[in-house]
Amino acid sequence: MEEKMYAYKCTACGQLHHPKHYVCKKCGNRKFEEVVLDGDVTLVTYTKVYNLPEGYMKPYMGFGIVKFTNGLVVTGQLEVENPEIGMKLMSTVGVVKEGIGKDYFGFIFKAI
Amino acid sequence: MIVDKMEQSLRPVETPMAPYPPKYITMATGEKLVIRQIRREEVPHILEAVKPLMTVEADFYDIVASRIYSELLGYYRYRVKDEYCLIGTIDGIIVGIVNGRMVDEKVGMSYHTMTLKQGLRIGAQLFAAKMEYHLDFLNQEEVLIVAESPNGFKRWMIEYELESRPETWHELGGVPTYVLTKALWEKHKGTKLGGRRPIKEELLKTADNPILPETYAQIPGYKR
Amino acid sequence: MREVGIVGVGHSKFGKMSGGTFSDLLSMAAVQALDDAGVKTGMGHGIDQVFVATMGAGILNKQSGIASALVDYLNLRPAMAETIENGPASGASAIKLGYMAIASGMCDCVLVVGGEMMRVVSGWEGTDFVATMLHPEAEYNYGLTLPAFAGLFTKLCMEKYGITEKDLSIVAVKNHENAVHNPVAHINVVPNLYCITEDEDAHIMNPYVAEPLRMYHCCPVSDGSAAVLLCAMDKADRFIKKPIKIAGIGSATDTHAVAEREVPTDLLAVRLAAQMAYKMAGLTAQDIDVAELHDAFQILEIVESEEVGFFKRGEGHIAARNGETKIGGIIPINTSGGLKAKGHPLGATGVSQVVEIVKQLRGEATGRQVEGAKAGLCVNFGGFGNNVVATILTKEEA
Repeated sequence: MEEKMYAYKCTACGQLHHPKHYVCKKCGNRKFEEVVLDGDVTLVTYTKVYNLPEGYMKPYMGFGIVKFTNGLVVTGQLEVENPEIGMKLMSTVGVVKEGIGKDYFGFIFKAI
Repeated sequence: MIVDKMEQSLRPVETPMAPYPPKYITMATGEKLVIRQIRREEVPHILEAVKPLMTVEADFYDIVASRIYSELLGYYRYRVKDEYCLIGTIDGIIVGIVNGRMVDEKVGMSYHTMTLKQGLRIGAQLFAAKMEYHLDFLNQEEVLIVAESPNGFKRWMIEYELESRPETWHELGGVPTYVLTKALWEKHKGTKLGGRRPIKEELLKTADNPILPETYAQIPGYKR
Repeated sequence: MREVGIVGVGHSKFGKMSGGTFSDLLSMAAVQALDDAGVKTGMGHGIDQVFVATMGAGILNKQSGIASALVDYLNLRPAMAETIENGPASGASAIKLGYMAIASGMCDCVLVVGGEMMRVVSGWEGTDFVATMLHPEAEYNYGLTLPAFAGLFTKLCMEKYGITEKDLSIVAVKNHENAVHNPVAHINVVPNLYCITEDEDAHIMNPYVAEPLRMYHCCPVSDGSAAVLLCAMDKADRFIKKPIKIAGIGSATDTHAVAEREVPTDLLAVRLAAQMAYKMAGLTAQDIDVAELHDAFQILEIVESEEVGFFKRGEGHIAARNGETKIGGIIPINTSGGLKAKGHPLGATGVSQVVEIVKQLRGEATGRQVEGAKAGLCVNFGGFGNNVVATILTKEEA
């Protein structure tokens, strides 16, 4: 079963949220429905980090902030050779951190 | 000492090794780090720079300094085959020491990297110089490396993406062996290896009589 | 509200602490502040409340309730005591709470001590610990770190405003030059601008940490402590030095997940906190003579200098290039050496910034004095800009 990522849609005003909030940032309502968050994105900014935290045994890792077509702006890992601001990428879901007993899933943005 | 038949038989047969061409690296502060190989007769003097760190527990200095001490002694007393030692000096003062040896024509064995003056990436440059010696000047194909400290592990195993080879034993005794292959070296040396040659006579001269550090940041209150 | 002033300051040498406990580290600065104010430790100290600012005492040093421990260690019982945590802005937040305690009338005299002993753990663990400030699901779990966000932010600012890597190095070198005159600074070697930017080996000696940020654009990891003694202005006669007034304090929060910020190149919380502080003090940016702006990454000094109103958006780096933020320039920034060269023990930083401004306003900043300084601004940045505290200090006319 493929892992999915979700956005949280306010049941009162329809405002999308990612990550989760307890209270809608537009209208203050407290009920949300889950909607799948996927699709193509535009790259807002990127970086390549060489000093990784504990547990990441790689010399460097790419990260990017992207914008989905629904307006949501999200940070994730970036696996793109030559990133450029404004380029179109696809969002995939994969293991972003290996844990003890469970892995953490998140966005990995790749070239289309 | 008298080199009679007995002594001769206890010495390893030395392979002729191309000498390491000295170079200099401009530090972030503008100071020049001179890296050169030492001659066997210089070992007793260099040992004096190593000695004070042999009892410093922090950052694994005790094991690294103690092992370097014995390795350099092994080189000096002709009991280790094909060993070398490079030192780094700034304004004539010894700031770092690296050593290793040739296992055979193709394979090198990295021993240790010890920084006396911390904070300027001297250790990283001396390690790179060592690898440069094995792979670019001795024309070897790979170098076996182990790490004793987490810092070492991060700096070498992770940053150079070293190949894991646990089945091959490293002389430093049992910790997992990693290998820097020619391919990995070519991939990373562009961002890791600094330094320029040739080095001007006057600059190289400053490293002729390496000065022992008066103080060590690792040993608060120490004075030579 | 009652007026509150600072009557004593203390500051340990930032760097690597060799030996001693966390309480010893805090006590060093605390006692200095008391000595500076002429307060005897022991009977009659008159301190009602102690606030200790620290982010890592519980996590790195396994010491919770450190304020309670310190109060006894310093023999200040039964003074009230609380530990304040606001990430790297813990220091300024603790001063803010000290101010509130006195202004409200509940206390007359408050001791604020900030400290961090971070170098007891490896660089990895340190980076990981600092990253706990990030959003757990949306950021921390990805392996993102503060430097990663600084890199993402810097890239965008470079695209939008034309800031260059060299500009960041220019700011770094200025801060290091200032730190040479600060005896408590962590680093007193000065990097050479050419050697870290244009020299053949610059890309190796000044490697990327989080592109486009390089090693010399990021502050070091430091141990250290700083302390201030606050007092109601109308009860300050018993101290040996004239109080420096806390004229204005502001603080504001922004979105936790950095991606959710309204304008990705803005530091909105900095702007709002500064505006609030200016309003309370009845001053504007033009009235400030000297500033300590949180420069954990040199890009932050540039953008903060714009958000607090010293320069127009997009012109902070030009001002730095022209030397306008040096001592002697129109608005000296980070005369202490900033976080870059003075060091950044997280909990101590906010208090350390205030100590520097107090010294400037008192005329005690030997070797780095801004002549005739009368008003100073501190900006202490928490998380990656989601919680910022701004403090304005003024020298009262005789």
